[in-house]
Amino acid sequence: MVKNKSNKTKKSGALIVVGGGIAGMQSALDAANSGFKVYLVESRPSIGGVMAQLDKTFPTNDCSTCMLSPRLIEVAKNPNIEIISYAELVEVTGDPGQFKAKIRQKARYVDPDKCIGCGICATKCPKKVPDEFNQGLGKRKAIYLTFAQAIPLVYTIDKDNCIYFKNGKCRACEKFCPNKAIDFEQKDEIIEVEAGAVILASGFETFDARLKGEYGYGRYANVLTSLDYERILSAGGPFEGHIQRPSDGEKPRKIAWIQCVGSRDASVGNEYCSSVCCMYATKQAVISKDHDREIQPTIFYIDIRAQGKGFDRYYERARYGGGVRYVRSMVSRVVENPDRSLEIQYVDGSGEILTENFDLVVLSVGLRPNSAMRDLAQKLDIELNQFGFCKSGRLDSVATSRDGFFVCGAFERPKDIPNTVIQASSAAGTATGFLADARDTMVKEKSYCAERDVKDQDPRIGVFVCHCGSNIAGAVDVKAVAEYARTLPDVVFTSDYLFTCSTDTQNELKNVIEQERLNRVVVASCSPRTHEGLFQDTLRETGLNKYLFEMANIRDQCSWVHAAGGVDVTEKAKDLVRMSVARSARLVPLSETPFEVTPAALVVGGGMAALTAALSLAEHGHKAYLVEKSERLGGSARFIHYTEDGARPAEQVEELIRNVEKNPLITVYTKAEVLDCSGHVGQFSSHILAGGKKHSISYGVGMIAMGGEMHKPKEYLYGEDDRVLTQRDFEQQLAAGGEELADVKDVVMIQCVGSREEGHSYCSRVCCTDAIKNSRKFKELYPAANVYVLFRDIRTFGFKEIYYKKAREEGVRFIRYEPERKPEVSEGGRLKVCVYDQNMRAEIGIDADRVVLSVAIRPYAESRKLADVFKLPLDEDGFFMEAHLKLRPLEFANAGFFLCGQVHGPKFMDESIAQAKGAVSRACTILSKKEMLAGGDVAFVDETKCILCMTCVRTCSYGVPKINEEEGVIVIDAAACQGCGNCAAACPRGAITVGHNTDEQYIAKIGALHELRAA
Amino acid sequence: MIVGTRKPFAEIRDLVSGHRKILVVGCGTCVAVCLAGGEKEVAILASQLRIALRLVGQDVQVDEAMAERQCDTEFLVDLGSKKDLGDYDIVVSMACGAGVQLFSDVYDQNLVVPALNTVFIGVAEGPGVWTEKCRSCGDCVLGETGGICPVTMCAKGLLNGPCGGARHGKCEVNPELDCAWVKIYDRMSARDNLKSIEKTLPPRKNSRQTHPSVSIHEAYKRRFDKDEKIV
Repeated sequence: MVKNKSNKTKKSGALIVVGGGIAGMQSALDAANSGFKVYLVESRPSIGGVMAQLDKTFPTNDCSTCMLSPRLIEVAKNPNIEIISYAELVEVTGDPGQFKAKIRQKARYVDPDKCIGCGICATKCPKKVPDEFNQGLGKRKAIYLTFAQAIPLVYTIDKDNCIYFKNGKCRACEKFCPNKAIDFEQKDEIIEVEAGAVILASGFETFDARLKGEYGYGRYANVLTSLDYERILSAGGPFEGHIQRPSDGEKPRKIAWIQCVGSRDASVGNEYCSSVCCMYATKQAVISKDHDREIQPTIFYIDIRAQGKGFDRYYERARYGGGVRYVRSMVSRVVENPDRSLEIQYVDGSGEILTENFDLVVLSVGLRPNSAMRDLAQKLDIELNQFGFCKSGRLDSVATSRDGFFVCGAFERPKDIPNTVIQASSAAGTATGFLADARDTMVKEKSYCAERDVKDQDPRIGVFVCHCGSNIAGAVDVKAVAEYARTLPDVVFTSDYLFTCSTDTQNELKNVIEQERLNRVVVASCSPRTHEGLFQDTLRETGLNKYLFEMANIRDQCSWVHAAGGVDVTEKAKDLVRMSVARSARLVPLSETPFEVTPAALVVGGGMAALTAALSLAEHGHKAYLVEKSERLGGSARFIHYTEDGARPAEQVEELIRNVEKNPLITVYTKAEVLDCSGHVGQFSSHILAGGKKHSISYGVGMIAMGGEMHKPKEYLYGEDDRVLTQRDFEQQLAAGGEELADVKDVVMIQCVGSREEGHSYCSRVCCTDAIKNSRKFKELYPAANVYVLFRDIRTFGFKEIYYKKAREEGVRFIRYEPERKPEVSEGGRLKVCVYDQNMRAEIGIDADRVVLSVAIRPYAESRKLADVFKLPLDEDGFFMEAHLKLRPLEFANAGFFLCGQVHGPKFMDESIAQAKGAVSRACTILSKKEMLAGGDVAFVDETKCILCMTCVRTCSYGVPKINEEEGVIVIDAAACQGCGNCAAACPRGAITVGHNTDEQYIAKIGALHELRAA
Repeated sequence: MIVGTRKPFAEIRDLVSGHRKILVVGCGTCVAVCLAGGEKEVAILASQLRIALRLVGQDVQVDEAMAERQCDTEFLVDLGSKKDLGDYDIVVSMACGAGVQLFSDVYDQNLVVPALNTVFIGVAEGPGVWTEKCRSCGDCVLGETGGICPVTMCAKGLLNGPCGGARHGKCEVNPELDCAWVKIYDRMSARDNLKSIEKTLPPRKNSRQTHPSVSIHEAYKRRFDKDEKIV
């Protein structure tokens, strides 16, 4: 049922997202969860993008698939996201807010409504072709699924390789398909949709390493690209996670990584840095070492760019003690030896030419924009930059050259996963903000009939056994299982179906529940992970509480895993069914109580991130309370007068302040602090002390955006000599016209002051670019003056690399030092800087008129207090700790709290702005709801048993259990509880139970396993 | 809080072996908080005993019960009103040493055995970790030592330290342990209060080691104190 609000607005409540990678999925989920319809257009047969191909991710070494799969399922389950895969956007006409789009759905030759993903077609297909998902290292069939967890789970015929399409004979797939899903007559179709905005998230492809002929990719079997190697590492890859050489299957001992292949390289037209290769090479080296301790990894690099959160610590661990060897050298060539090993020639630090043999060479290939976008961008009238990436706004990184079109992810510029997710949310937030009036006009909302009261009834259990085509029935005697179920206690109905999940069986299920007056339902089929929601929904449609449903997984945990034999699968299926029946008899209906969401947000901070967040919230129609500790708004943006690419944050922030101050939805408190916080997601309340007065406010979400502060160094004569200053001071002088600097002849800049050192083992991300920006500005004013930048690694990632190159061209001198021999600054008539130049291998002295320190960014000292007020976690450097480094960089594990800007870690202005808008987008998934549900399968404390031992407080990852000091017991807020059950397992008095997961239910279930099998 | 750890299972099994009706009684206070003798641990121990004893052919009945505090007679009497304790051949108490003894005193016809080793008075460092902080010496010097107890932390229990065996802030008895007196010095120095460390503390009263002490609250003295000094 489509709810139609009065059509006072002409804007459409739908969006098109182009690209189904992690960026596209995040945008789609955010938009769909805040009241918009999403058409997710993906050119491959399934969504997931490149992240699905990765093995592990840095800096946590988490499995990529394990993180991604739940997201895929979330997208698939969302009723407001329509996945249009194996399709491409053809044309978009009309005005922003009311576009008309044409999408070409390519023919799969398989009917997606009929395909059940059983895979028999692929087993029977006689044609093997190189598998592009495995980078051609393995084989797939001509009818195929991109990967096992593919969404949608629909096979596709590769027309170019299909024997029938080539020779007119075969049709084996059609013959064996149990559901008649093959359709050789299918044609490409044009789908027309209306949408208010378009988000471009078409991602990247890797640089074609064959263009760097000197490395021999494509000619030498044992030279791989990093994405090839990623597949080799993957347990789902062509070698099942065993590291081996493609040429002979031998275990490699020595593996070399060559960095910057197709990045920072004018000869191939890619002068930018690809941002991620240093870290993925480090990760691959570390993981290789984990696989096999005897592997000796070596990484050949120019600069190590570990500028992200937690990256530098990861790199340091790999380099010092992790067994990864780093050689600062650009490899000139790779030559294959007769035994297929590879000889690498390079110049080492002392200038000597060396050769070394390796068993395997991995080329760290750079990122290129998706090549299909070049034509499409032209058709859509989207401007690209000189490298083919989408041109975006200087401070508004999601804006494109066409109104109503937004960009995110690696199509905008090369970036890592966290920044992709941040930008994806930001794009969704900006697009939905633009369409805010049309919210909820296109989304589906279901209504259900009143719930049947089954409390005092004896259990009447129905058991529905699924064939799943031949997935289950191929191995399990399904009819025997159904017969057996009939003999179990309280079972009043059993039957078997070809597909329990099909629409007609769902209807049949409803009829049976009503006719047989069933009050418990057991479905023996596949995994609750994918199908529980569907069946629960069916139960609700008949008036049964959804918690009266139980699933026995006789496919994934039975027929599939025992394909090799050795287990009587029919007997095992009976065991699983008996267990589920035993549990189902003890299931109780649980109610979820709705509560109202307070449509307001608390924003802590007053800088660029906080102001952007407050305005963005207001644009979405929500109230915002801005609490700033100092007297005036603006934060550190007030001191950033210009950026390397010509933006002017200091001017922009003044404009934001004016807009915030005149916005009726925003209340600003300056010289203010938050005293306390109570309540739960959707309904928080706090007291604020502002200018000596206490205010009390209520809000639905909290946003932490208080920024970071400049480190005050105690070294290099800072504070002792006026000529030693920070980049910020230097920038103020330059921005004021630089008259004070008129007789300055020599400037020395020192990088990494307070960063990347003991106790502060992180990179401050912005200082390299700041130094280059200020050097160039100074050289522009005084071309005859000299600038020396003393650095450890120059970390100008992405397009910032261009400015590094320009600075060198303009005569800025870069001198590298090692942290063991830091530069020394002494006073004389002029300042004297001594530094050991790593390249010249000699101590050099520079007379300087100014020494400019690139100082670290530190978290505010007040962060700790704020963290205590809201019970939020900090990381080891004192910055706020997000819920997940990769996929949840905008929110806390504590439901209802979000973060943006430098509280999360050092970042550039455009990144803070993107994160602020992204965090608002995430917050809108809560604020756009009128009410939320609390209760159901969450933890409940029996107050008579609680002894306040605090075990649950220490166990909960979400900080939910709170102490009720009056009663001397723990309270767990049903609205905040995530239902994980850790507290219930840990409670020594058994005072906590989690609804739908009681001891009684599981004891019955496990107990049933040990009952004798009926004959 | 009093911290206990469960005895090795074999030891408990041997204590109860041969008895038919067994009652496992937990204590809902300190030992429940330190995850040694609460309701969950009672259930675990009872199941283990059932399985282990039946495996060796003993026909046993193992029941479970809880007392809010086994160190208070009222709670034990209350337990007796709910369960017929005379019915059991043996009671396994999961309380601290004090609780086990009071149980034996209140129900002197019952055979009562401990399931825990009472280890120390300590604090929770984090989930599942406790450290010893107090030896209950009866003569507290924390006021002079910056809130760090030398009686507990110093291997030699020195009241005037450190001894000559402190090396780089570590103890000569166990180089993994911090020297209590170096920590005391550091803290006093941070508080700018090094003067007080110069004061020599008199020898500790060791009378506690010769007989068990009794403590009577000031307000109850008239009722109980018969010339007995609080020691």
